[in-house]
Amino acid sequence: MFDSLMQTAFMQDVVILAKPALFNLYFALVSIPVGFPLAILFAVGKGSGNKLISIFSRGFIYAFRGSPLFIQFFMFYSIMLALNKPLWKPLGVDDFILHPLFLGPLVLVLNTCAYSAEIFYGALKSTPKGEVEAAQAMGMSPFNVFRKVTWPNMLRLAWPAYTNEMVFLFHATAIVYFTLPVINEQKDLMNKAGELFEKDYNLFLHFTVAGLYFLTISMVLFWLAGLVQKRLNRHITGAKPLSFRLFPRSRSSQ
Amino acid sequence: MANIPILNIRNIHKRFGDLEVLHGISLTANQGDVISLIGSSGSGKSTFLRCINLLETPDQGDIELDGQAIEFSINRAGKRVASDAKQIQTLRSRIAMVFQQFNLWSHMTVLENVTEAPICVQGLPRAEAKEIGMAFLEKVGIADKANLYPAFMSGGQQQRAAIARALAMRPEAILFDEPTSALDPELVGEVLAVMRQLAEEGTTMIVVTHEMTFARDVSNKTLFLHDGIIEEQGDPDTLFSSPESNRLQQFLSSAMD
Repeated sequence: MFDSLMQTAFMQDVVILAKPALFNLYFALVSIPVGFPLAILFAVGKGSGNKLISIFSRGFIYAFRGSPLFIQFFMFYSIMLALNKPLWKPLGVDDFILHPLFLGPLVLVLNTCAYSAEIFYGALKSTPKGEVEAAQAMGMSPFNVFRKVTWPNMLRLAWPAYTNEMVFLFHATAIVYFTLPVINEQKDLMNKAGELFEKDYNLFLHFTVAGLYFLTISMVLFWLAGLVQKRLNRHITGAKPLSFRLFPRSRSSQ
Repeated sequence: MANIPILNIRNIHKRFGDLEVLHGISLTANQGDVISLIGSSGSGKSTFLRCINLLETPDQGDIELDGQAIEFSINRAGKRVASDAKQIQTLRSRIAMVFQQFNLWSHMTVLENVTEAPICVQGLPRAEAKEIGMAFLEKVGIADKANLYPAFMSGGQQQRAAIARALAMRPEAILFDEPTSALDPELVGEVLAVMRQLAEEGTTMIVVTHEMTFARDVSNKTLFLHDGIIEEQGDPDTLFSSPESNRLQQFLSSAMD
């Protein structure tokens, strides 16, 4: 029974695409944690009283939100290639810099950083003014006001939108290898599904299985983000965070 | 000691754009004073209170805390600013404030609200801050709510928590900005009772209020503000029973209804 199930074309695809899924996961799991603190810096930068810092942050956010990710990949790849001869090769870092496992996350980090910065900036502006004032009135230093009052409020307000951004970013990993070269067998879901398609033209099967991998991993992401959301909203009466149970309790057991 | 006032504020002017809301207000607060600021809305009493701890920077005028003048300078944009950040923080940590909307930190429990500033501003050890915090929560009668988040409490309880938060700094004076105006009528009493008790214990307080009975019974000095100036001031008994200016007479007759 099990053997015959595993023999189906569907299950074979599931097995074949498991390793490529790890590449998509890698791109997301490297980019999100690096992009997060950078985004906070750019959000604070955009709101900064210092004109130079504010203009720089606004410019960065505009550039990466205002252009397609696809083009950003092309741009970066061609710039990095152009710098190869004068810079990377003499320094002996060309293999590393031009490697898609480095360049891919680099572009994704910059992209998610810009989008997330805008989300955090909006949240920063919505932080309750009275709470900030109370902290100032207690004699807290500006850094402590941010750390103790602005930051927790900002994170809570930004979280639902940031959850979206994380999932978008994960889906955006699908286009990394449309521009960057594939090295050896380092293929992601889109590469591998395309390769399988070229063998038997079964578009529906291969891309459905690839899509299911995206759906499944997204579900885990949503679930984890929901747990965080729950924690961030614990102080609000009747807060119903966007979370769901993987295995809902049955009514009778409650 | 007795002859140096805690707060000596002279000739405060404040403009918002073209509108001047304070036209030179002075006030001296000695140890144990309970000063009430009354007046109709828009008279500038809250703005004046906010100038005292520099939540608003006065465009003109001096503030002295324990004989030490706050330093001001003019920044590049031509605006007057308090020039010494450390000095502002010291002033604020010694003059606590209670707000109309309580402004408790919503993501912290009541006890955390009370202990946060003593720990991170005054450097108190956590255990000691907790002990002091609990004592003040006890004092305002909400020790049993210590581990609740503010959103789970009534307005009166929240304001009492905010008073405990101010007390926990062991300040030299407390500023109250219309502490009962955001409360349901039946919750006003519990907050006023706490404030009355503080006054009896000799806490120095400057209170912006619409509670005329409180101003009359509890304070030892009352200032009536109108259009950004002190229209009349003095001993509350005299002020309330025989107001001199027309404006105060009008104000009292409408406020006492």
